Amino acid sequence: MTELEPLVDAAPATKVVGHSVQRIDGWEKITGAARYADDLEFGPGLLHACIVESPHGHARILRIDTSAAEKAPGVVRVVTGQDFPYRFGLYMQDRHIFAQDRVRFVGEQVAAVIACDAKTAARAAALVRVEYEPLPIVLDPVQAIEPDAALLHPELGTYPHVPWFFPRPQTNIAHWRKIRKGSIEEGFREADVILEDTYRVPRYAHCAIEPHSMTGLFDAAGRLTVWAASQSPFTQRNLFVQALGPLGLSHKDVRVIAPCVGGGFGGKAGVSCEIMAAALATAVQGQPVKVMWSRAQEFYNTYQRQGVVARVKLGVKRDGSITGLEHTLYWDAGAYVEYGANVVNAVGLSATGPYRIDNVSIDSICVYTNLPPGGPYRGFGYSEFFFGLESHMTRAAQAIQMDPVEFRRKNCIREGDTLAYGAEMNPNGLREAIDRTAAAIGWGTRETSADARKAIGKSLVLFWKAPAMPPNAASSAFLKFNEDASLNILISGMEIGQGLLTVMAQIASEILTVPVSKIRVETPDTDRNPYEWQTVASHVTWGCGNAVKNAAMDAREQIFALVERACGIARESLYLKDEKVRSRFRAGWELPLRDFAISGIQAPDHTFKGGPIMGRGMFMPEFSSAVSDPETGQGGHPNVHYTTGAGGIVLEIDRETGKTTVLKAALAVDVGKAINPDLIKGQIAGGLLQGLATALYEDMRFDENGRLLNANFADYKIPTALDIPGEVIPIIIETPQPDGPFGARGMGEHTMIPAAAMVANAIQDAVGVRLHSMPLTAEKIALA
Amino acid sequence: MPITCEFEYHKPKSLLEALEVLARDGKNASVLAGGTDLLVWMKEGVRAPSAVVDVKGIGELHRLEIVDGALLAGACVTFTELLESAAVRDSLPLLWECSRTVASVGVRNRATLVGNICSAVPCLDSASALLAYEASVLVEGPVSRQIPVTQWFLGARETAIRAGELVTGLRIPLPDRKSGTCYVKLGRYRGEDLAQVGVGILALEGREYRIAFCAVAPAPARAARIERLLHGHDLSAELIRQAQQLVSEEIHPITDIRASREYRLHMAKIMLGRGLRAAVERLAGGGPALGESVI
Amino acid sequence: MNRLAIGFRLNGVAREVEVEPGDTLLEMLRDRLGIKSPKTGCDRGDCGACTVFLDGRTVRSCLVLAAEADGCDVVTLEGIAQIPGPLLRELAGHNSFQCGFCAPGVVLSALELLLAKPHPTRLEIQEAIAGNLCRCTGYTSIIEGIKAACGADAARDEAGPGGPAQTWGSALPIIEAACGADARTPPQPNSKGARP
Repeated sequence: MTELEPLVDAAPATKVVGHSVQRIDGWEKITGAARYADDLEFGPGLLHACIVESPHGHARILRIDTSAAEKAPGVVRVVTGQDFPYRFGLYMQDRHIFAQDRVRFVGEQVAAVIACDAKTAARAAALVRVEYEPLPIVLDPVQAIEPDAALLHPELGTYPHVPWFFPRPQTNIAHWRKIRKGSIEEGFREADVILEDTYRVPRYAHCAIEPHSMTGLFDAAGRLTVWAASQSPFTQRNLFVQALGPLGLSHKDVRVIAPCVGGGFGGKAGVSCEIMAAALATAVQGQPVKVMWSRAQEFYNTYQRQGVVARVKLGVKRDGSITGLEHTLYWDAGAYVEYGANVVNAVGLSATGPYRIDNVSIDSICVYTNLPPGGPYRGFGYSEFFFGLESHMTRAAQAIQMDPVEFRRKNCIREGDTLAYGAEMNPNGLREAIDRTAAAIGWGTRETSADARKAIGKSLVLFWKAPAMPPNAASSAFLKFNEDASLNILISGMEIGQGLLTVMAQIASEILTVPVSKIRVETPDTDRNPYEWQTVASHVTWGCGNAVKNAAMDAREQIFALVERACGIARESLYLKDEKVRSRFRAGWELPLRDFAISGIQAPDHTFKGGPIMGRGMFMPEFSSAVSDPETGQGGHPNVHYTTGAGGIVLEIDRETGKTTVLKAALAVDVGKAINPDLIKGQIAGGLLQGLATALYEDMRFDENGRLLNANFADYKIPTALDIPGEVIPIIIETPQPDGPFGARGMGEHTMIPAAAMVANAIQDAVGVRLHSMPLTAEKIALA
Repeated sequence: MPITCEFEYHKPKSLLEALEVLARDGKNASVLAGGTDLLVWMKEGVRAPSAVVDVKGIGELHRLEIVDGALLAGACVTFTELLESAAVRDSLPLLWECSRTVASVGVRNRATLVGNICSAVPCLDSASALLAYEASVLVEGPVSRQIPVTQWFLGARETAIRAGELVTGLRIPLPDRKSGTCYVKLGRYRGEDLAQVGVGILALEGREYRIAFCAVAPAPARAARIERLLHGHDLSAELIRQAQQLVSEEIHPITDIRASREYRLHMAKIMLGRGLRAAVERLAGGGPALGESVI
Repeated sequence: MNRLAIGFRLNGVAREVEVEPGDTLLEMLRDRLGIKSPKTGCDRGDCGACTVFLDGRTVRSCLVLAAEADGCDVVTLEGIAQIPGPLLRELAGHNSFQCGFCAPGVVLSALELLLAKPHPTRLEIQEAIAGNLCRCTGYTSIIEGIKAACGADAARDEAGPGGPAQTWGSALPIIEAACGADARTPPQPNSKGARP
């Protein structure tokens, strides 16, 4: 017998998965061929809209006079809230398309002018006259829940919402997530040392370089199409149908098309300003209308990362064990919380951090304020709460004279440990992450600066995050062969820069042996591509990856079944190699995919068996459930799994000026399986820098009326190429995720999460200054 | 945001032609050289001129040459041209160092030195060098004027220019002795930023010191008291300390979204001290490399 | 509303367009001429996404009036990409970009640097692209890609003769195709002034 190939399932090493292949969308982006939403052409009939916005943080709308605007030449239509009295929302329906009886934040849309070009629309929008009666403003979440605070949503009790939210009608509390595990009183009684303090984190802006851009067309036959820079075409389609329900639209008549997206970070998820294109299109039936957000509007009228005031109370024993954690978080969630309330929820479930703690009390409180709506931002609340928690953990270790890294080693969560809400922790490489990060930054060795004016500090912190999704967030994929055995894969997971298209191609390539260079992964069109919940939560490598894997296996099954039927070779003996079907029972026999993937296999009687090979895959986390006890949070399996890791930093501070230089930043993340190591390193470099920026210089400033003062890049500073750390050390940990494609789990958000606490602890290590509020600017350090 | 104001665009071929348009439209006309300030203001509705006069077609405004011991920089000379000029780097290193901190390459390729002093925003970078070198502003109009730069800045965004006038360039005398310089700029990080404090120092052979602050008052100005204190002396640690104590008398910073008054005062003292040391070291032939920040 | 007739060269091809005084170069390129590589990122000159070459220098096209381009040479990534050279290849090979929105501006800023300095230091690369904001990559992969392109150019520089090829390196054919014969001389300011 000649040498036979091993069964493909037994092959240990993967040929494509695990390799840093070149991005399949790289060349189109580098040559300028990539088309983004603002690049799309709609012909000379394209109309443009300009939005009229509220100058007040909280006010009743008394009168809107659109007459002058309507008369301006070139203006087609002017609309107000009266034309769209509809509510919508992702997790809770508390938001209108245009303000109705009142406005709740500076910048809220009140009216819109649709005209034949952008300049005409802008000039006419200035002619719309609105009369307001200002109302008392609340800007602070702690003040907003005082009994005498102005009530922002008197109708809170009537808003439909998902079953795992607990609003308090007649207050500004939109949701209150409680966790009670064990006995916190007992936990504090056992403690030798109890440390309590408050930490403040302000709002932050996503600052994707591409502003939101959307065009809508409601054609004469009643079909609505929206082209949008979007992370969530299907969810947007669903919300458009919900919001414009009274128009009688069915999902089949609403189509969302998302071209290349110039960065999302959560800001292009859900529906914020995209509703404008959908709604305004219905106001000018038959003509496409474009809405392009300016950079200023990007800052003040899209989702912002919520601010939070967090009180952390931790009990520890002298031997280093944590006996109890009480964590109370007051979230400045903004004027509408239809998305942001789930940020509050997600944190409520996970605000222990990746630690083993028996006695836990968490209160995560979502509070309405007269500020722009809070929403999803890379980290989904975890970037926000880890500043306080990981600052506190280091301080607790210091209080018992224990090395802060040793403290974390001792208390870090392990596989099988009970989570705050009762479920079990998944497999994870957290210990390995700690050890390798500590080594990368030379933890334990104190360094002195060559410059006598400067001090060097180090720190290491932990992080984790689980995808925050509804329990039925599904992914699906279609896969079709072409004549030359190349593939088109249709998914609705979005390429927002993270490299999703490439990773999906790698997964399919591994299973079908078609090279990545012969695979095209199409960006979403909800008419053609199958359903994906949203591209958020760092879940698409896992969820959409599973769907693509299932679709590829489905196609492979069809191929093998067909070959068995048409060629009479036992199905169990078949395998794929180099785009050909082979059999373990027939050395030398092979059938190239291109010979039959479209045309079928010719039989001896000249008939053809089979036909075009198309795979279908779907993935639904059927084990996930979100319903739990409202008072204790116990029950259910709301988080599919956690991705864990550690971050370490070495920084240098000029004692006189407070200026901080990051010499080294290391981040270890347990990705389960690194499908494309290059792309993971890209997320580490990008996420770390984004996180460091929130720690060191990004700073949203509002005035006492709730108006954002720095709505531009001149005064909201995001990092330039000159601001990068001296060295970024990516560390990839691979403890497989059992239900992930090839063992993978997501990590896109995680790389930002530990940054602020890394910096805070290292500042204290360097110059002995403990800062409780972000950002940790040179000014605060110098004047401390 | 598109430019919504309506205006006439002129591109005169001569100085005379330019002055004719300016005489006609007066304060409603805006001069366009680099456009990196003007276009932002027009987009944000801060300026709505009825006429925009593009002066880049006037040949003599592009001159950059040394004549009779002074650098003549025409109104259309960009910051990139200053940075690429060996003469500027060697003879007027303080101006060179200021120019390097302005914005980024793509902006410097258009933004002009004259445009910078005509916009006259309090945080402008070039003023420190121009004040230290005692430059004069060359103005054409109904009459020709040469205005010392000390009399040019009248307040925030306010200059000595009159309606119908055009700044044609700057005359910057080269120091007649060896000198060492240092421009120190406080930004919120290493990337481009508008100065929260700026100080330019010129240390001349013979123990003469010229010091100019920007971004800490409505108009940039020389620090006369500190100069008097230092004049004729070597810079000891004690003398520098005394100079730092005078800073709060020389400058009047405010608190705004970029920095607080307290931090500006705190930093201005540190920047003065480190800047003086660097300038003196460079005068002696050493010191940090030109363009390296001392904070 | 008064309109102006302007003439200029776009990626080496003579064009004539009628514009309004208030039209920016960015708006004209994107909305009238189908040139989509320069992007509207902030419209204020802060982000660099709108960068194009104007008479051989990178500029923020959102801060240039279309009328100012009269008589000028405009080069965009569309022109550069017609003959992709080592810079584009190395950026692709290093997976330098993620969402790609900043890429056109970065590529042009990097090209401007490499044309003047074929072997820049890491710091010089950082300064050259400091005006191009990127939110995705953390810049590390971009800097590595640009540095790798220097290495590739170095080999070709050694093989070539002296003169313009030394200054422009392997980008000479790119610029020739995009800018025409004027590419033979290194970039100059608006040619009406003398320089010391």
